[in-house]
Amino acid sequence: MRATGGLAAIRRGVAGLLPRVPLPLLLLLLLLGPAAAPAQAPAAEALLALRAGSVVSTVDGVTREASVGLPYHWDRVHAGRPGEARFTLPFTLAEAPAGPWGLFIPRVGSVFEVAVNGSLLQTHGDLARDHGADYAKVPIYLPLPAGLLRAGDNRLQIRIRADSGRRAGLAVPTIGPATTVRDRLFAPAYAWRFTGAVLLSAFSGVIGAIALGLWLTQVEPAGTGAGRPRRDRLYLWAALAQWCWALRVADGAIVEPPLSWVAWGVLMTACYSGWAVSCVMFCQHVAGWQDRPAMVRLQRALALIFTVPVFACYVALSRGEPFWLTAWLGVEIVAMTAYVCLFIGATLWRPTAARLLVAAVMALTLAVAVRDWLVIRMSDAYGETTWVRYASMLFGLALLGLVMRRFHAASARSRELPRMLAARVAERERELAAAYDRLEIGARAQERALERERILRDMHDSVGAHLSTAIRQMQSDQVRPNEVLHTLRDSMDHLKLSIDALQLPPGDVQMLLAGLRHRFEPRLAGSGLVLEWAVEELRPLPRLDAPALRQLQFLLFEALSNVLQHARARTLRIEAAPTDRGIRIRVIDDGIGFDVAVPPRALASRAREIGAALALQSRPGRTVVQIDLT
Amino acid sequence: MHIEASTRPPASWTVLVVEDDVRLRDTLERSVRAEPRLRWLAGLGTLREARAWLGTTTEAPDLLLADLGLPDGSGLEVIRAMAARFPACDPVVLSIYGDEASALASIEAGAVGYLYKDAAPADIARTLLDVKAGASPISPMLARSVLTRYRRLRLAADAAGAAPGASAAPAASGTSGPWLARGAATPEAVRPAFLSAREQEVLDLIARGFSYAEIARLKDLSVNTVQTHIKNLYAKLAVHSKNEAVFEASRLGLLRQPD
Repeated sequence: MRATGGLAAIRRGVAGLLPRVPLPLLLLLLLLGPAAAPAQAPAAEALLALRAGSVVSTVDGVTREASVGLPYHWDRVHAGRPGEARFTLPFTLAEAPAGPWGLFIPRVGSVFEVAVNGSLLQTHGDLARDHGADYAKVPIYLPLPAGLLRAGDNRLQIRIRADSGRRAGLAVPTIGPATTVRDRLFAPAYAWRFTGAVLLSAFSGVIGAIALGLWLTQVEPAGTGAGRPRRDRLYLWAALAQWCWALRVADGAIVEPPLSWVAWGVLMTACYSGWAVSCVMFCQHVAGWQDRPAMVRLQRALALIFTVPVFACYVALSRGEPFWLTAWLGVEIVAMTAYVCLFIGATLWRPTAARLLVAAVMALTLAVAVRDWLVIRMSDAYGETTWVRYASMLFGLALLGLVMRRFHAASARSRELPRMLAARVAERERELAAAYDRLEIGARAQERALERERILRDMHDSVGAHLSTAIRQMQSDQVRPNEVLHTLRDSMDHLKLSIDALQLPPGDVQMLLAGLRHRFEPRLAGSGLVLEWAVEELRPLPRLDAPALRQLQFLLFEALSNVLQHARARTLRIEAAPTDRGIRIRVIDDGIGFDVAVPPRALASRAREIGAALALQSRPGRTVVQIDLT
Repeated sequence: MHIEASTRPPASWTVLVVEDDVRLRDTLERSVRAEPRLRWLAGLGTLREARAWLGTTTEAPDLLLADLGLPDGSGLEVIRAMAARFPACDPVVLSIYGDEASALASIEAGAVGYLYKDAAPADIARTLLDVKAGASPISPMLARSVLTRYRRLRLAADAAGAAPGASAAPAASGTSGPWLARGAATPEAVRPAFLSAREQEVLDLIARGFSYAEIARLKDLSVNTVQTHIKNLYAKLAVHSKNEAVFEASRLGLLRQPD
């Protein structure tokens, strides 16, 4: 029956090396609570394990009878061909049991019926129909009615119908006192296989829902100029992985699948491969490799890894040749191993907390997957539970860890944000202050340049002009000391007025007039002129800046000088009054007058420079120089 | 040795000149000597000489003519030393421009008038006699400057009055001239009524260019009264300056409180 003696020996060896008790995953124990007490070795003296008997099997229309040692792994014995078998397991009791007894079978199926001493105790499934329900998924406990067992020889008869690739067969049945069998054998096995599957499925489903929620809600806003807002696909792949796994694990609890076995088996394989592919994509995103050029090749490889097993499974199940699936899963494990090694290598090269976490989970999962492949696919062990189902939970926890890290980083950033903003604002303020300082320095330099220009021009117009006149006067043939003195006095007065102008507030015409009078006072006193001062209160004219005020000084100086030097007047009247649009200043004398058709050139040019309207009236006895400032 | 200045009108007023320009000093000396009512005491060229003279003189000057820019220091030092030694002496500043800043500083140091260096020789003696007769020249620019500072002080004082217990000093400091800012910190020396209403009116008219005579006519006062107002103003400014010095000295811990 066995394929070859050598291979069988290897299988037995492998099975012997592997631990029979699932040790890891204390987490799951916590989840399962009291029901998850670890399976313990049955008390040998009370319990009877039925390991040997005979079997009559029918495969492809050929019926054979043989003695048998349990466990009986159908796919191994019959190379995956579907069929029927009738096991007869004799056992001997010293005496008929006094209390109730029970029967525990860790795994039997696909469908079966159980009889003891010729009495049919239980039927699970339709023995006439294949590819239907699968009762091999859950451990079986049957109470043995009192009186059924007797002292001496007894006989346990089990009929099964086996579907291909469904891990059909018969594990070692154990009989004994009902309480012991139920509590110490059946209950833990049921918890591990059925309750565990339900809880794991629920866990994966919830994690998947969380991941999908994160994928839907955590939208990265569109970057500057570039396209649509981006979702983080890491969450999508995590959701797919978790849901594939939820369905895959849920299968452990679904005795009667909604599809026929081949379709359901293919779906389960698709789930398994989908989970592996999604995990790889998840890891790519965790590592930040999703945008690398090699990603395209990887995606092609992953598409292959997803689709080939689906076909392989279909072929294996529909043709009853599980070898195809086993071989391909081997290839898949090699590919995954290669990827995990790559990932771990990259992680060691450039470790980050996220990569380390995922790499650790991957390494563990891979180890578990290899163990499962060896135990379930390669060895003769029968009735074993896959461990890899628990490993997926680690991926879920890793995802939660990543999300928590991201949340922590985001909240740290958000706490940091006001400080960063404040720092940037301060930086910007410093830049602005520096720019302002530069502008200020530039403005001051320009101001200084303008002021220098103004003073130079002033010196040229006033002191310079007067001094050069004085020099000419001194150099002329007939030096008249009074003339020279007069020129020099003019020069001095201009210098004083120029200094006054430096201290005038902008537009302060009132102050300008008062200062002018103050500077002219000694000359007026010496001239015998009577001065009438009729200056009202004047508002400042802000448009008159320092140069304009200086021009106005020149203009009035000129007008007063003319009166003093040429008019031969007795009275000089200076009027100033506010007008609707500004200020009107009038210099009036009762002298000989002048020809207004030929006004003094200096007066006109100065008036033009400051935009003042100059009006002249002159007749003997009354000359008016009127300046309208607006 | 402290020599009491004579308060009776003497036959002639004694004049001390501190001016480093020898030619100007000679001009001044000629003008003083030409005027019988003035008597030339001495002409000095530096701050050091002036201090030495003040330390040894047996005769009190009635008038001091001091240049501000002496080779070894400021003429203000001479004025201060004179005010301490001979309070009855009237210091007059020699000035080229009579600009506002130096004029105000001189008055605060104790000067009661200024004389332009380019004044005609006859004007020199007349200005000195006018000062002794009670006249105090003040330029419109200076009048405007005093008024502006005074108004700022009033505002600060009003603000302080509006908030009882608050000192006017923080409001005034940095916004006004030093003597007003620090004066505000010594309230017994500076009241908002530092200038009388009449003094303010007079100052205002001077700032608008009116002469003493015109002001007297406009305000129905005698010219002497106007001059008295100005003289009082000078004295107040000088007192402020002294208070400020005392305040500053005590602030710096230079003056000991009596035990």
